[in-house]
Amino acid sequence: MKNIELPIPHNEAERLTALRRYNILDTLPDNAFDDATKLVSYICGVPIAHISFIDENRQWFKSEIGIGVSEVPREISFCQYTIMESKMIEIQDTLLNDRFKEDANVTGGFKVRFYAGIPLTTPDGYNIGTLCAIDHVTKELNENQKNALSIVAKHVINQLELSTKNIELKTQRKIAERAVLAKDSFLANMSHEIRTPLNAIIGFTDLLTQTKLDDRQRDYIDSVQLAGDNLLIIINDILDLSKIESGNLTIDAQPFNLRKTLKHVYNLLKVKVPSAVEFNLFLDADLPETIIGDQGRLNQILVNLIGNSLKFTEEGEVTVSVKNVAETEDHYSIKFSVKDTGIGIPEKKLKTIFERFTQAEESTTRRFGGTGLGLNIVKQLIELQNSEIHVKSRQGYGSEFFFVLDYKKANDIEAEDETLLGEDLGKLKILLCEDNALNQKLAKNVIHNFGFELDIAENGQEGIDLLSKNEYDLVLMDLQMPVKDGYQTTEYIRNEMKLAIPIIAITAHSLIGEQERCYNVGMDAYVPKPFKQAMLLEAIKSVLNKDIKLPVKRKIDLSFLDEMSCGDANFIQEMIHLFIEKIPNEVAQLEEAFNRNDLDSVKKLAHNMKSSFDIFMLEDLSHCLSVIEEEASIGQFSTESVDRKNILHCGVIEVVKILKEL
Amino acid sequence: MKIVLSEDNEILRKSLSFFLTSKGFTVDQFSDGQEALEAIKENTYDLILTDINMPGISGMEITQYVRQNISSDIPIIIFTSSGVEQTELDSFDIGANEFIAKPISPAVLLIRINKLLNIRS
Repeated sequence: MKNIELPIPHNEAERLTALRRYNILDTLPDNAFDDATKLVSYICGVPIAHISFIDENRQWFKSEIGIGVSEVPREISFCQYTIMESKMIEIQDTLLNDRFKEDANVTGGFKVRFYAGIPLTTPDGYNIGTLCAIDHVTKELNENQKNALSIVAKHVINQLELSTKNIELKTQRKIAERAVLAKDSFLANMSHEIRTPLNAIIGFTDLLTQTKLDDRQRDYIDSVQLAGDNLLIIINDILDLSKIESGNLTIDAQPFNLRKTLKHVYNLLKVKVPSAVEFNLFLDADLPETIIGDQGRLNQILVNLIGNSLKFTEEGEVTVSVKNVAETEDHYSIKFSVKDTGIGIPEKKLKTIFERFTQAEESTTRRFGGTGLGLNIVKQLIELQNSEIHVKSRQGYGSEFFFVLDYKKANDIEAEDETLLGEDLGKLKILLCEDNALNQKLAKNVIHNFGFELDIAENGQEGIDLLSKNEYDLVLMDLQMPVKDGYQTTEYIRNEMKLAIPIIAITAHSLIGEQERCYNVGMDAYVPKPFKQAMLLEAIKSVLNKDIKLPVKRKIDLSFLDEMSCGDANFIQEMIHLFIEKIPNEVAQLEEAFNRNDLDSVKKLAHNMKSSFDIFMLEDLSHCLSVIEEEASIGQFSTESVDRKNILHCGVIEVVKILKEL
Repeated sequence: MKIVLSEDNEILRKSLSFFLTSKGFTVDQFSDGQEALEAIKENTYDLILTDINMPGISGMEITQYVRQNISSDIPIIIFTSSGVEQTELDSFDIGANEFIAKPISPAVLLIRINKLLNIRS
């Protein structure tokens, strides 16, 4: 055997780096590459074709026809020579080639008589592998075949680039999604922190206005009230935006009285009108009374637009006109217009006023105040209702904002009358579970104003004690409390004490999913803080009057277990028993490890439990575990994990309950 | 055909074992990697089915031992719920024949087992 020195490209180190960047070695078969190999075999009419990559010591076949092994040592490969070249190598008869005529794979082995190989060159110029056509007989490729081979080789590289880019994109997307999630949860948590004290400020101010005050005190209190309300608007604005962005804001479709709503908005804003400004509301004569749509959002849009007009108009008039502009069999199209004779908007600013944190002039913010979020929210709220907002304006003369919304006709459905009176409920006895002294005091006053009796428990455990001693008509439940929180307490009341007493959650939480969780553990209603008296009374009335509604139950899908057990009912039953026996215990262990911040145990337990949930197809709970496991791996638990842990806790109780009843 | 199954989650292990037994395989099941490896050393099996994360030793270590110390080419299927690509690469690197991400579809598992066993016969 001739002792030939093995060929190594001059840029071997860089070439290997380029190869590794694609992470292609030892990957699973891939259709895209297999198709390319078939194409090569077909174009050249050969029984052997392959796409391979060459690292330090082997030639690895990503895709092959007629070879049957996944790799060969680099030193025996023909292709080690091909990657030294910049273009195709064609050996029409290996027996006539000095380098190969005595090669083991020519005289025996693969019996290579014809070889055509084209280097796979990366965009930055490294030959990382080859695309080859091989035959046992002599052959000569024509120009078309050669061209086709070059094109296929280019495609193979493009395919590699594409999949690498896709992986990078996926990683980037994950990072971006995490950032959005972090932002949402930050906003929700911040709003929670701000709303709790604000709740107390607004509530007590509300109560203070109902006491005897002299003129100066009343003036001060009015200012406090105004400031509190404004602060709440800002926080709600920010929350709304984050909800719109995360797609969590939905548009209601409830019947409501349009004329009443408009008059209500008018009356609400009339008090803010300066004396030099005339404020008009023009309602078209054939405006319908009751329509179906989102009353709250319409309110919000109008209050925002009219509020703006009033703010920027020092004299002249602000006119709101509402017209029924089109009508079909089941829809009304209603045009809303808010027109003022205020300072107007320069033409070049007309486009940007709807952007976030922009007002027509920077000085506007200083002169008129505002968050710069209002118009952006208005625009998005109108767009969510499949319409768009328009503006006409001339600087110094005034502006007009208008939009057309489609509302469904309310056929014979009367809008609900909004009379809120506590009297017809009699003398209710209410239990409040709340640890914050300020909130206790506030709730006490409100409840007494309604004419109800109130007992207060400092935490969930105390609440349970009181409930077992006394008779109550209703429980008001704060969610975050020491000893036993609102969820645990409700679960205990429902599952252990077996009481059906109505429970209303009162919470400053604004976290997505919070409300759902309240209903899941068995609460009947949900009042967000800071609560207004009317809102609380409404909730109390609704839970006392409502028909006994069964909560939406989780359905457990046993189809996977069914497949595993090949339909054996006894075995399925055995697995259900095992689940009931093991999982609650494992969840308890997980919680315990979580509480002592034992990251390693949390990780192991969560990882192990996932398989159990997968078998019962509890995707939501399995996902909770993934989040917890991932945060345990990172080494720190955020509120996200705490939330998931709680959802897991409730979910497992629910699942076990359902499994027991099967 | 005799299979060794090594998985620490009891529900999954019993389900898989039941499934494979109904398909005509003989299954020896273990919840501890070390015990599984001892059994592999002492008996003759046709296929190894193993989770990665387990008490005792991991599925990776079992695979490595079988390939390097026993020098056996018995088909090995590794499964795991780790979504990390590197795990899959490592599995093949140390000599596993198949890699299945959890949750495992019984139908897919069966096809892969059959494929591996046919190739050998």
